[in-house]
Amino acid sequence: MKTKKNKGETILSVIVILLAVIFFIPLYLAVINIFKTTDVIRSKPVSLPIPPTLDNIISVLTDPNVQIWKMYFNSLCITIFGAGICILVSAMAAYYLARRTDRGAKAMYVYFLFGLMVPYVIVYVPLVTMFSRLHIPLSLPTLIFVFVSGSISFSVFMFYAFIHTLPRDLEEAAIIDGAGQWTLFLRIVMPLIKPCTTTVAIFIGLSMWNDFLTPLLIGQIKTITVGIYTAIGPYASDWGSVFAYVMFATLPIAVTYVFAQKQFISGLTAGALKG
Amino acid sequence: MQRKKSPLFVAPALIIYTFLMIIPIIGAFALSFTNWNGISRDYQFSGIKNYTAMFSDERFLNAVFVTLRIMLTVCVSVNVIGLFTAVLLNKARRFTNALRSVFFLPYVISTVAISFIWLSILSYTGILNSVLTSVGLEAIVNDYIGNTKGALRSICLIEIWRIMGFHMVLYLASIQTVPEELYEACIVDGGSGWDSFRYVTLPMIVPGATVSVIMSVMTEMKQYDIVKVITNGGPGYSTETISYNIVTQAFGNNMLGYSSALAVFLFVFIAVISILQLKLSARWEV
Repeated sequence: MKTKKNKGETILSVIVILLAVIFFIPLYLAVINIFKTTDVIRSKPVSLPIPPTLDNIISVLTDPNVQIWKMYFNSLCITIFGAGICILVSAMAAYYLARRTDRGAKAMYVYFLFGLMVPYVIVYVPLVTMFSRLHIPLSLPTLIFVFVSGSISFSVFMFYAFIHTLPRDLEEAAIIDGAGQWTLFLRIVMPLIKPCTTTVAIFIGLSMWNDFLTPLLIGQIKTITVGIYTAIGPYASDWGSVFAYVMFATLPIAVTYVFAQKQFISGLTAGALKG
Repeated sequence: MQRKKSPLFVAPALIIYTFLMIIPIIGAFALSFTNWNGISRDYQFSGIKNYTAMFSDERFLNAVFVTLRIMLTVCVSVNVIGLFTAVLLNKARRFTNALRSVFFLPYVISTVAISFIWLSILSYTGILNSVLTSVGLEAIVNDYIGNTKGALRSICLIEIWRIMGFHMVLYLASIQTVPEELYEACIVDGGSGWDSFRYVTLPMIVPGATVSVIMSVMTEMKQYDIVKVITNGGPGYSTETISYNIVTQAFGNNMLGYSSALAVFLFVFIAVISILQLKLSARWEV
């Protein structure tokens, strides 16, 4: 019985590993072909790059029209400040709403949740119109606040649910010890909601880093996604540099993912399972 | 004892959210009843003209049709393949976690980057055709994304590849909550492997499966990025999705009033699905 079961498990394992290998082919191609010239990619697309060449990477890095570092700077600013501001203001709001029982607070919570149902494509036209009427430039800081506004619903929703499960004992103890409400929030509540903050940070941080349409329409800010899109152009066939651009767009995320797979997977599915 | 919290806690989020999310949404509703073109200062109130026009707009109807086709293909595929892979992965215990990470990887990479990887494979001058030529299968070399049918299939394939891992993880999480005793009881009663899947796993994962199906419907209703990179809506406008159509009408053709009406249409559609989702998940209490 036992050996039969083990044998079945081995066969299953072989099948899933095979599936995973097939599944991985596009990524394998994307990695090996970074190190080949476009001619070699055309003639030998699936073989290992021997001898490897760094031409693609160098040409991307030295192209004066491209400025990879500027793209990284824009994307990093958006991700760090966008996610940071969003987490701070949403945690504050969720704390305020979750610790009140009156109807006004309930109504305001529902008001915040409304954004979860909205397809974001609806706000671009009014947003751009509004900015031009108010003479607000379509710059990086503007874009950061647009990203913040787009993630507030989700963040408030997550923090609200989490704070509801927290006992109030610690807060009450701190109040007796004479802590003011801001100290209480920063020193007691923020550390307690850290697991939730990680989840929210991964979810909204990744969505900001990977977003394409928002920076494209709000001022054509060259984030890494808009940047590689405009650099490659819609009708590219210089595959060598395409793969180099793809590498620059994915490397930071892929490396982070390798070191924090568990947090990424649970962070990205938590929202779905709670929703 | 001071228990009251300052309204300043909620103010920043409320201001940002109202100013950049709620007011624009109201603005979109207002614009959808006008014929504004984005340039001239004056525009007329045109009543429900935009809403009646969209139902005779062939280009928009085609976009609805394309979106529904992509949605149907992708939803069915990712849920079936996701469930199938999750069951296999759950059984192959030693590899569950490692392979879970492999299948999930595309979901964290930007859709634009993924689309470019697949473009390099599926283009006429791409990798797939090179491989086919080198192994002597010139007969099936084809411009896969140059024609409507092939382009739609390619878009679906890429999207399935991208989100399959996510749905697999949702199913895996569901399957792992099924108590072991139920399977044992099934075996004791003489059930086969298929029986335990059909009568234990399937009924137990209904709530998780509902979430997974609705998530995939919502994602596909908003499809934009892959179409933008792979076909740019073409050939002609045959692969435009609803989101793509809205953005093109607004930022390409300056039909801001009309595109707002299209966006409101999409909004209503998605709101109905969201409410359905809330109702369902409240009933099952996931």
